[in-house]
Amino acid sequence: MRPILFIVLFAGMLLSGCEKVIELKLDNSNPVLVIDGGINDQNENQVVKISKTYSFTEPNKFNGVSEAKVVVTRPNGSTVTYTEVSPGVYQSVKTRGVPSNKYILNVTVDGKIYTATSTMPAKVVLDSLTFKQFNLFGKLSTYIAVNYNDPVDAVNQYRYILKAKGKIEEDMVSDDRFNNGNKVADAIFYKLEDLKQGDSLAVEFQCVDPNVYRYFYSLKQSSGQAGPPVAPSNPISNFNNGALGIFNAYTTSKRTAVIK
Amino acid sequence: MVILRWLAYTVILSIFTDHDVIMPNTIRIVLILLFIIAQPRFVFAQNKKTVNGNVTDAKTGETLIGASVKLIGSITAGAVTNAYGFYSINTQEGIYEISVSFIGYKTIKQNLNVTKDTRINFVLEEDNQLNEVVIAASKRNENVSNPQMGLQKIDMKDINNVPVLLGERDVLKTLQLLPGIKSAGEGNSGFYVRGGATDQNLILLDEAPVYNASHLLGFFSTFNSDAIKDVSVYKGGMPAQYGGRLASVLDIKMNDGNRKTYTVEGGIGLISSRLKAEGPIVKDKGSFMVSARRTYLDAFLKLSPDSSINSNTLYFYDFNAKANYQIDDKNTLYLSGYFGRDKLGIADTFGFNWGNATVTLRWNHLYSNRLFSNTSLIYSNYNYVIQNFMEENDFEVNSSIKDFNLKQDFEYSLSNSHNLKFGVNAIHHTIAPGKLTASETSSVNQTTYEDRKGLELATYISDEWTVNDRMNIVYGLRLSSFSLMGPGNIKSYNAEGNIIDTKAYKAGEFVKSYFNLEPRVSASYQLTNSSSLKGAYTRNIQNVHLMSNSTSTSPTDVYIMNSNNVKPEIADQVALGYFRNFNDNSYEFSAEVYYKWMQNQIEYRSGTDLRGNGNVEADLLYGDGRAYGLELFFKKRFGRFNGWVGYTWSRTERQFDAINNGKWFYAKQDRTHDLSLVGIYKASQRWTFSSVFVYNTGNAVTYPSGKYQINDRTVFYYTEKNGYRTPAYHRLDVAATLEGKPGKRLQSSWSFGIYNLYNRQNAFSIDFKDNPDDPTKTEVVRTTLFGMIPSVTWNFKF
Repeated sequence: MRPILFIVLFAGMLLSGCEKVIELKLDNSNPVLVIDGGINDQNENQVVKISKTYSFTEPNKFNGVSEAKVVVTRPNGSTVTYTEVSPGVYQSVKTRGVPSNKYILNVTVDGKIYTATSTMPAKVVLDSLTFKQFNLFGKLSTYIAVNYNDPVDAVNQYRYILKAKGKIEEDMVSDDRFNNGNKVADAIFYKLEDLKQGDSLAVEFQCVDPNVYRYFYSLKQSSGQAGPPVAPSNPISNFNNGALGIFNAYTTSKRTAVIK
Repeated sequence: MVILRWLAYTVILSIFTDHDVIMPNTIRIVLILLFIIAQPRFVFAQNKKTVNGNVTDAKTGETLIGASVKLIGSITAGAVTNAYGFYSINTQEGIYEISVSFIGYKTIKQNLNVTKDTRINFVLEEDNQLNEVVIAASKRNENVSNPQMGLQKIDMKDINNVPVLLGERDVLKTLQLLPGIKSAGEGNSGFYVRGGATDQNLILLDEAPVYNASHLLGFFSTFNSDAIKDVSVYKGGMPAQYGGRLASVLDIKMNDGNRKTYTVEGGIGLISSRLKAEGPIVKDKGSFMVSARRTYLDAFLKLSPDSSINSNTLYFYDFNAKANYQIDDKNTLYLSGYFGRDKLGIADTFGFNWGNATVTLRWNHLYSNRLFSNTSLIYSNYNYVIQNFMEENDFEVNSSIKDFNLKQDFEYSLSNSHNLKFGVNAIHHTIAPGKLTASETSSVNQTTYEDRKGLELATYISDEWTVNDRMNIVYGLRLSSFSLMGPGNIKSYNAEGNIIDTKAYKAGEFVKSYFNLEPRVSASYQLTNSSSLKGAYTRNIQNVHLMSNSTSTSPTDVYIMNSNNVKPEIADQVALGYFRNFNDNSYEFSAEVYYKWMQNQIEYRSGTDLRGNGNVEADLLYGDGRAYGLELFFKKRFGRFNGWVGYTWSRTERQFDAINNGKWFYAKQDRTHDLSLVGIYKASQRWTFSSVFVYNTGNAVTYPSGKYQINDRTVFYYTEKNGYRTPAYHRLDVAATLEGKPGKRLQSSWSFGIYNLYNRQNAFSIDFKDNPDDPTKTEVVRTTLFGMIPSVTWNFKF
């Protein structure tokens, strides 16, 4: 369901606007705390990343925040403490979350506590990856598609993370508003043309709760990649106390494909 | 005066009471209204006489709208022809000089002995000697003496001469060169009036509301200027007969058609061709006009050797038709229609089309010498269809808004100092937000979102009162109501957007009703023969709202109506103006200031998805707005060289508790400075040159003030909403028109134009992204849509 995207692309192509990199004076806001991480249903080291915002003109980096206290509380009251493994990156011991459980994340930085909750949805498994050909703009192009069976009796939200040659190239969300209860083959519109024989593709398929879905949808929308450009704003975080970012309790399944 | 007292009463009432509480008072107001009309002083005194009739063009028989008819004698009385070219003057028995004038036409002066009620029609001849000094009598000072404020008219001749993008003459784009009316974006036919959004303009084509007035994603307006006779735009001080939108009324009237002879005219341009045919049905009794336009951009696409381009479809067409027939002196029928559509297709993958259709049937009837009536039956429809043919995912979406509209308007010349207008209006809306169909094998489910039905009822009365030689007042009141009607499952939401109640309603059941009083006053006081002060207060109500959270408008934007949660938008505007003409009315100057308060404005929560969203109201936020500004306008009206300068200084702000920490922020339509220069020079009988320069402050936008990483990808951090500005916009266009040699059967002309002469790289969008070659860097990318674009058009007429 991304027809609007096509219209924008199409109009853009016809009018073939002229693009130029320009200098723009942007303000430098005070650094704000960003928390990104969660807990999934795999028995592994769960990760939470804590960083701060930095100036637009600086090179991209992970501006990690050290010495934070990171604790996840399970519904039964037991806790998992995450320890810092590198600046700003916090890891738990091997543990797994359980679908339909509600988790609470508490992060303490400089004496201030930031709290978020997320409920792990019921698991839907990624069945397979397939290659699909589309005649877009009259040119036959190949894209990768995720195949799964959407359960009919639940409202589901999904997140697809595509890695090509180990680098994240696409991070998007989808829901079952238009295809509830169906066998779904959803294409990820990332161009595969530049890949060579033997290059690997990996898709992580997550089931996420509605707040997480909306967070990533909003992120996409602000970047103009989810239809007509929307006046950008910070996505609504599930943290209190003004922290940016998202706490995500999710189920995950992965599939890989190799270009032949 | 009773009406004044009544007006004062209702103004106070509507300002100081909650709208839901007004209901019991409406009955009282209707009673007052009846009482006023029934008053003995309103019964006509017998010693007075009426002079009335029509004013038409000598060559085409087209009725002339806004022509001035004046009686000069023992008393002086006058009137201006209405939308149907009809005038009516109350006077006393006596001998008068009657003078009839209209801009661009030779003035008629003759003696008239009024002994009884007299019907007299006038035929005006066009005055083509524009380069000669025009006789003083036709230089009218109406802009100074007319009590109407905030009204701007566009001369169709100017539209033909002003340079435009790709040579496509465009009413809406020429309109944007006037102060207080701003373009919604590069090459965009959407416009902002005095801080209003694009959906807050009431756009009427022969009285039918046009819901989406643009083609090709906004680059061209739906109005084919060949078919248009008169364009008026009210920025404030709207007369009481108009209602339904907050910011402005754009009243466009189509040509009636030549009543004398058959003519065909047309034009061949770079992207489109036009053809118009008109002529008498019965000579001097009735006529028809048909006009069509189609773009052929798709033909160019076909020429491309690249299969990614030549397999696509992209075009639009317009069809205007009108017929009228004068049954007798007292009855005339008009039937007019518009049909336009955009079609877009990407190979065999995807199809998208959208368009408007309107039909207006009108009946003019003269009940008496002083009671003119018009009854209109109007149908208006806007819809879009999206088709996706991709296997396993195929679907089709249909969405529409459909209106049936009944209007009854009366004009009653009460005395030579009072002209009453009153009437009623009923509009039935049906909004079909979307019907999703798909094949058996598609992964998309068939879904139909519930239709919503609404009923708007309004009644109004207004009086144009000539208090004395210096003072004129137009004052009136509009009582409007809106009711959301069943059938449907209607939800209510709390402040967080959660559903708190769902109730099922049967067909015809009233879900929720809103009543509003809209007082309208506009007055002028003439300081001297060539200068005046004017003031106006207007309240406007809007019951139908466009849902668009994108930075530009899209054909798929949906309309919603008032509901349990969505309240009518309210705007109160006060305006003051100084009007002055110079050099025997050759130059016209005006300065207007305005302040506008807006209530129940709508914004969206972050991440609102409007596609197939049955719960869109859950994502709406409500707040206030304010807009204020100064508009300066200077126009040279006559001579070989004419044109105008328009300048606007303005502010438009909004306040929402849930946005920007509850602080006021600039609305996206806020622009501090806006300047337009228009010059038209008639160099010879055959050559006309023209030029347009525009400059405006950049739009208020949200840019990042920092960045961070989420899942190893760069994300931008935003602080203040609309706290930045896009770079300033400016552009110079030039055009030249070469008329063919006069006197030939086939008249033709060439129009040459250059859009954006000095190739200014104006920002259509500014994006922030990681450098594709060096992912550690983030860069700012400016996209420019139109550089320098030349155009040529050949026009003909025979």
